Amino acid sequence: MKEKILYGYAGIFNTADDVIKAAKKVKSNGYEKFDVHTPYPVHGMPKAMSLKPSKLGYFALIFGLTGALSALLLTYWISAYDYPLVIGGKPFFSFPAYIPVIFEVTVLSASIATVITMLFIFFKFPNNAHPLNDTDYMKKVSSDKYGIVILASDEKFEESSVEQFFKSVNASEIFPIYFDIEELNANPKILEPKFLLFLLLAGIITSGATYFTLNKLLYMVPFNWMMEQPKLNPQQKSSIFSDGFGMRMPVEGTVARNYLPYAYKNQPEEAEKYLVNPLPVNKSILELGQKKYDIYCSPCHGYYGEGDSRLRGQFPNPPSLHSEKVRTWPDGRIFHVITEGQNIMPSYSTQLTVDERWAIIHYIRALQRSLNAKETDLK
Amino acid sequence: MSAVDYTQELSVIEGKPALRELDDLISKPLETKPDKKFYIALSITLSMLALFVIGLGLTFYYGIGTWGNNTPVGWGFGIVNFVFWVGIGHAGTLISAILFLFRQKWRTGIARFAEGMTIFAVMTAAIFPLIHTGRPWLAGYLFPYPNQHSVWVNFMSPLLWDVFAVSTYFTVSLIFWYVGLIPDLATLRERTSNKIKKIIYSIFSLGWRFSNRHWQHYEMVYLILAGFATPLVLSVHTIVSFDFAVSIMPGWHTTIFPPYFVAGAVFSGFAMVQNVLIFIRKIFNYEKIITIDTLEKMNKIILVTGSMVGYAYAMEFFIAWYSGIQAEQFTFINRAFGPYAWAYWIMVSCNVLSPQLFWFKKIRRSIPVMFVIAVLVNIGMWFERFVIVVTSLSRDYLPSSWGHFTPTIVDYMILIGSFGFFFTWILLFTKALPVVSIAEVKAVVEGSQPSHHNIE
Amino acid sequence: MEDHLLNFNNSMSKDNNDEIKEKLVNGTDEFPESVKEDFDLSKLSKVSRRKFLALLSASTAFAAAACSDYRDKGEIVPYNKRPEEILPGIANYYASTCSYCSNACGILIKTREGRPIKIDGNPDHPINKGKICAKGQASILNLYDPERLQEPLKNNKKVNWELIDKDIINVLKNSIKNNKKVAIITNTVISPTAKKVLEEFKTKYNNTIIISYDLFNDNQRRNAWFKCYGTFEYPSIKWNEAEVILSLDSDFLGNEGNFIENTIKFTSKREVIKSLNYNRLYAAESRMTITGMMADYRLRISPHRQFEFVMSLINELIKYGSAINLDKAAIQKFQNYSLDNFNIHKEKLNHLINDLNNNRGKSIVYAGDTLPEDVHIAVNLLNEILGNNKLYDYSTSFKKQYENSKQEEIFQLIDLMNRGDVDVVIHFDSNPVFHFPKDFGYEEAIKKVGTVISLTESQNETSALSNYILPINNQLESWGDAYARNGIYSLMQPVISPIFNTRQKEAVLLSWIYENEIYDDKIYHNYLMKNFEAEIYNKLKLAVDIKTFWYSALHDGVVLINEENKFPQFKTESINFIKNEISTSDYVVHLTQNYFIGDGKFSNNGWLQELPHPVTKVTWDNYAAISKNTASKFNLEMNDLVEVEVDNRKLILPVFIQPGMNDDTIHIELGYGRKVVGEVGKDVGFNAVKLMSKNFTGSPYIYTNAKIKKSNGKHILVTTQEHHSLDDKFVKDFHRIRKIIQEGTIVKYQKEPHFLHKEKHDLFSITREHKFSGVKWAMAIDLNKCTACNACVASCNVENNIPVVGRDQVERSREMQWIRIDRYYSGTEEEPIVSNQPMLCQHCDNAPCENVCPVSATNHSPDGLNQMVYNRCVGTRYCSNNCPYKVRRFNFYNFRDHFANAYYENELTSLVNNPEVTVRSRGVMEKCTFCIQRIMEARSNAIRDGRELKGSDVITACQQACPSNAIIFGDMNDPNSEISKLRKHNLSYHVLEELNIKPNVTYIAKLRNIHSEEIE
Repeated sequence: MKEKILYGYAGIFNTADDVIKAAKKVKSNGYEKFDVHTPYPVHGMPKAMSLKPSKLGYFALIFGLTGALSALLLTYWISAYDYPLVIGGKPFFSFPAYIPVIFEVTVLSASIATVITMLFIFFKFPNNAHPLNDTDYMKKVSSDKYGIVILASDEKFEESSVEQFFKSVNASEIFPIYFDIEELNANPKILEPKFLLFLLLAGIITSGATYFTLNKLLYMVPFNWMMEQPKLNPQQKSSIFSDGFGMRMPVEGTVARNYLPYAYKNQPEEAEKYLVNPLPVNKSILELGQKKYDIYCSPCHGYYGEGDSRLRGQFPNPPSLHSEKVRTWPDGRIFHVITEGQNIMPSYSTQLTVDERWAIIHYIRALQRSLNAKETDLK
Repeated sequence: MSAVDYTQELSVIEGKPALRELDDLISKPLETKPDKKFYIALSITLSMLALFVIGLGLTFYYGIGTWGNNTPVGWGFGIVNFVFWVGIGHAGTLISAILFLFRQKWRTGIARFAEGMTIFAVMTAAIFPLIHTGRPWLAGYLFPYPNQHSVWVNFMSPLLWDVFAVSTYFTVSLIFWYVGLIPDLATLRERTSNKIKKIIYSIFSLGWRFSNRHWQHYEMVYLILAGFATPLVLSVHTIVSFDFAVSIMPGWHTTIFPPYFVAGAVFSGFAMVQNVLIFIRKIFNYEKIITIDTLEKMNKIILVTGSMVGYAYAMEFFIAWYSGIQAEQFTFINRAFGPYAWAYWIMVSCNVLSPQLFWFKKIRRSIPVMFVIAVLVNIGMWFERFVIVVTSLSRDYLPSSWGHFTPTIVDYMILIGSFGFFFTWILLFTKALPVVSIAEVKAVVEGSQPSHHNIE
Repeated sequence: MEDHLLNFNNSMSKDNNDEIKEKLVNGTDEFPESVKEDFDLSKLSKVSRRKFLALLSASTAFAAAACSDYRDKGEIVPYNKRPEEILPGIANYYASTCSYCSNACGILIKTREGRPIKIDGNPDHPINKGKICAKGQASILNLYDPERLQEPLKNNKKVNWELIDKDIINVLKNSIKNNKKVAIITNTVISPTAKKVLEEFKTKYNNTIIISYDLFNDNQRRNAWFKCYGTFEYPSIKWNEAEVILSLDSDFLGNEGNFIENTIKFTSKREVIKSLNYNRLYAAESRMTITGMMADYRLRISPHRQFEFVMSLINELIKYGSAINLDKAAIQKFQNYSLDNFNIHKEKLNHLINDLNNNRGKSIVYAGDTLPEDVHIAVNLLNEILGNNKLYDYSTSFKKQYENSKQEEIFQLIDLMNRGDVDVVIHFDSNPVFHFPKDFGYEEAIKKVGTVISLTESQNETSALSNYILPINNQLESWGDAYARNGIYSLMQPVISPIFNTRQKEAVLLSWIYENEIYDDKIYHNYLMKNFEAEIYNKLKLAVDIKTFWYSALHDGVVLINEENKFPQFKTESINFIKNEISTSDYVVHLTQNYFIGDGKFSNNGWLQELPHPVTKVTWDNYAAISKNTASKFNLEMNDLVEVEVDNRKLILPVFIQPGMNDDTIHIELGYGRKVVGEVGKDVGFNAVKLMSKNFTGSPYIYTNAKIKKSNGKHILVTTQEHHSLDDKFVKDFHRIRKIIQEGTIVKYQKEPHFLHKEKHDLFSITREHKFSGVKWAMAIDLNKCTACNACVASCNVENNIPVVGRDQVERSREMQWIRIDRYYSGTEEEPIVSNQPMLCQHCDNAPCENVCPVSATNHSPDGLNQMVYNRCVGTRYCSNNCPYKVRRFNFYNFRDHFANAYYENELTSLVNNPEVTVRSRGVMEKCTFCIQRIMEARSNAIRDGRELKGSDVITACQQACPSNAIIFGDMNDPNSEISKLRKHNLSYHVLEELNIKPNVTYIAKLRNIHSEEIE
């Protein structure tokens, strides 16, 4: 049989009076490591055991203050610093309105923290492995008896004398308490297949559930995030229309406001005859013209309209804009070309608004003048 | 604390039972198989609970449209029930914390049970703020956590205060309750022979071993918790009352609300505790522990708080008249004589008149009568909330936007169901945990404490 | 402390067992105060913790893996070749013409990416000046009506057009062969080109009879005019020059004639802001109308006594002389009429007489469309006597392409049909089965016709009895023109090509005329252009070429033709047409036009069905309006069903007790009670056509000797505003007591302009308030001008994607309209004073709704908007509770899904939604945003053009729609802006000012132009 390890000696008492007397004696006999167990707090016992008063109160105070302070900072940071919002015309940081929240946080943190401190730091709970548990000593003191234990680790501890002592304070029963060896040597191992299997299952279930929730469940009715909108944004498709295009072409022949259609399709001569440049020549117009010219025209015609383009060689070379022909063209004709295109030059009607086209024409004229200026210009 | 002298007081436990008898008596329900009556009761509450689940399900799926709420009356039964149940939840902490601070020893018999009720009531209440939102799945927005909108919560909103208050209240009550349970769980651990029970009790008693080195801290913490819980319990219903008091609606915008609501809460809370205890003490024959004196004391409190509430009603009217604001005045006249007058008069007769019977000792001590009165009080208190929420909203500033609130079937399902939810928990509680605090009761049994000279 | 350190040391020397023992002892040794430094890990059950951690990490890893999937956001479909005028995301506008009634208002259609999303008035149109009615606003929903006909039907089987054309052309030809008749039944034709088509049809098939009719028409007026002036084309009235107006049972501001034009002109003389320029309106009517609500004096006269009333007026006024000279015989006619036979307050009558007399030439007497010819003749005479013909404006007189057919012509046709002499009947977008009185026997007659054809947009009572049902284009898919007013020719262009397999109704006829094998969808487009060139261009003799002119005409939508104005002389002999009779009756049924669903053509339009009636606020229904006295006489209550009987023609419908009703009048609105119509309009209301008959005296809308009988049962009429009876002291006059409605009289205002702000309490805040620099938006509403026409509401619905909630939800008062028009009665049940007040989000600086939102979903923008963050809203409804104006709207359901089994939740109807406005889900709070999408558009334009954003850059939807320009919007921080001046105006006030929530919507107090200083 295994050798038992002694934990301490216990004495059982029948009344609160006995135990409190005994407790005083224990102390006076110079025992340090002892404890008294009673089914309910017996008044005067701490005094009898001459314990120092509990310091938990201070902990509570500290925790409470911490809670209050952090709540205050949080409310301030959120409402006045991180994302200030005008709400009901109140100041960003309206302290009086924050008091309730601060108070609640204080109470919450203080009570939780205090209890945790007591149970897990002071008492080092959970601790079911304690030798006193599962003893009939514990059975007694948990119900209607009162007990004192003197630990074997006490310096003055000697089995005989302790037994003597208990007799002297007329304990009803006296007996030793031993450690539970099995419990000591119990040492469950981590890699048992059962556990691993459980681990795997748990993993699969969690991931499956998470996937389902995040990607399926949350997009079923009634969940609604206003992401699918029953309306048609630009460039969305729509099955209402046979071609599936959500964006429709305007009906042929209709005229939208401020978009008078070009009246001289394939009629350069009429364009030449009727069209006149409505824009005045001034700095801003010319600048606009230049901007648009450099973007849309220069790639082929070159920055100065000499046809020396960056794309030279890749197409039949574009003509210079300084040619006699172009110089003598009325604005209307150039407008027609920009609008309709010519040879391999495409139409620029969708890229350039009507005004932009006229502005470009002014700019082209300026370019032309720059090369072959009239006398008037030289003055 | 040993300075306080208990021994002078007369005992709160009838007779002088041996401590072991107490153990046996209190843990009997836990060690015996539930009988037929229990199952009948459970099946009733469960079927009510089913209504609850269906009602909430419909609401969740289709939206608040399934309720009677409309545009002037944005809040209907949902918030009425919320306030009602939070109110019920106030008795527990009051008994266990405030009466503890006042050294009212008679509380020991009922404290544990009342705390339990607090927790269940708050659980019931907490469901409503969630489900009454238009998009319950977004309730997370109510907590200040960093989110993709990078918007935070609005700390100025009483509803947000509610979130903090109710959750705090629930947590603290739970802790308070659990701390109280630890020694009893240890006792049960030592008593039980059943293996599974043993394991469960061991886990939850955390290895408590009645050491007086622990008792010392334990009592300190219990005191601290009581100290915290007391302002907390007052704050909670104060904040609930802010939901209305902080608004600008006539009939809501009233400074008297906080004290008036707290009184009302205690009022209804005690009524509910008293109702249920009457059954408990009969079924588990705890007459010795939950004595008729205790019940009488509770009735006294009901009488006091009832009168406070009555005073508040009168005061509201006076202030409305005194304010000289026509809208304010009309709201109150409208309560008493408008389309919802019936609700108002039910409220007055139940809350103000019926408790006045408790002036007579005979009635205070007659179980059936006090039961009926307490039931009336609970009905009355539900209607108080109904009157405040619905009548005020239904006729506010612009006559053009006045409307009428008519509850739907779903409203009723949820109302009834909430009781099912609450009582199901109560029933399970009575069979799962000691409904009376063993350690505390032992501590107040005559002669359980050392005689005077020994303490000195 | 030391001692156990010590024993820890010497524990080293002890033997193994002791060592363990020592550890254990120390481990479990208890010195409660201190955390022991040598406390032993092995005591804590480490394994279980490791397990736990492993478990935790594993599951989180899996979970993380599970989250890494993103949902498909749909594909992008750009233009292949972008049309020049369209930039994705930028709206285009097309000028066109509204063809839903014969007013032919000019409209401007807003399109996005080639899809129409909103209809407003065309500002270039000289008549409606950029405004249209609620019907026009909401009519866009008809284009996207899920129950539009999509395919042609032959005996209710889908067939293709080619087959149909072939069939019908044959039938038509045969009809000529075996000389039978062909009938075309159409509503009033105002399009010259359409007329040309019809005429061509007639020449091709010369056996054609064309019948044109309208349920609501101005024929009484036209005929009277013909008798008095020799022309049917009666002039429009210069309301803007009339000092005194007497309206005889005419709702000229509500739904008669071109009421938009009338409203514009009328309200331009209700000016208090810049200068005081105010007309006086007398309304002599039996029912409560919009005009009646605007009236300064309201006289209750039953419709069948209007004639007597006018004659007595003439008799009274002729004493003070006359602008035209009448012979003895004529004067004899009036002798025996006297105002004494009317029990109207003498004072009122004297005021009326004096005002008319003192304002000769500056006043107008105007009779309603429903009144008999005689009354109109008498009224014309009266106006002549008073010299009021100065206010006739012939330059824009009212034209029709065909005069409506006389009843006789219709009866002849019906006879022919009955005799089987008619082979083909073509219903040219008309619904006679619903509109013709039952005793016409039309329904039976068409059963005897071989081929019945209905050209219609959606099923109706007539198409249900037709063999061929041919779907036609909506007006937004159609070409066309209109010549409704002298000198004003307007064009109509499509803004989207036909969504379904439909054709333009004129084009259908053309293809039958030309018998062309393959249909060409440009056929009518070209026809129109040709006709335009012939009829308009050539006449005008312009310098520009036709093409340019055509394009610019389309661009403007309207062409002004200066036709010579003729001022016809009044023929005194017309007086002889007047029959000398005084009709007497105990109860008289008065059938009038409803406000929002036309002759039933808008029955399936949820937006219009849900618009609250301007007076009664009833939605989704019509009813018999009676006075309180009549009600108590038959002990009837609201919603009781009554049986109204006019010689054995019976109708059972609910009762509505209307303040200000004349005691002997039963007023019922026509157009309700459609049977064959879409889900929305089916069985909504009660069909009062049942009470009409071919044999009436004077007017088909007025029937004397009616009977009411209480029928058993109730029918709940749903209203958007509770009805508080006026003699209920409990809630009487709250709107005045609470200063919600603040009014005065002209007299008082002239005496002391500051009367409104005599007792002014200064309000202060306990907190420092935010300063708004830059633009700060604000609105002002002039209650002098608001007629409660609901155009703003309709416009807002379309602009902001407001859902239709349906009858049951309105009953639970969950309607969603962001702007509503509150109507308050004061005075007595008999003589109520009505005050209207548009109510919308006031965008308070200290908004109470914002404080209470737990998630900051509603908060304040830097430019002073009270904004709503839909995505953040969890739907606590606390904001709505705390809103003193109750202007917030909550999505109690997903209403698109909840209304009529998701009727409007389909891809077609969703095209009507404004892409710039979020469609709100269930559980979300919403409210007026001051059209923030328009503000943002204006802002981005300003940024693009590099200029400051100005208040005048933004026009809200309601402001744009308001025909009387009662709504002013702008930047209150700009000292020169109109709005900032208005906020300081003597007559401006804020509702519930005393709450100090600083609303940003200012109301201009209504002045009443009465002779006394106080209102009652």
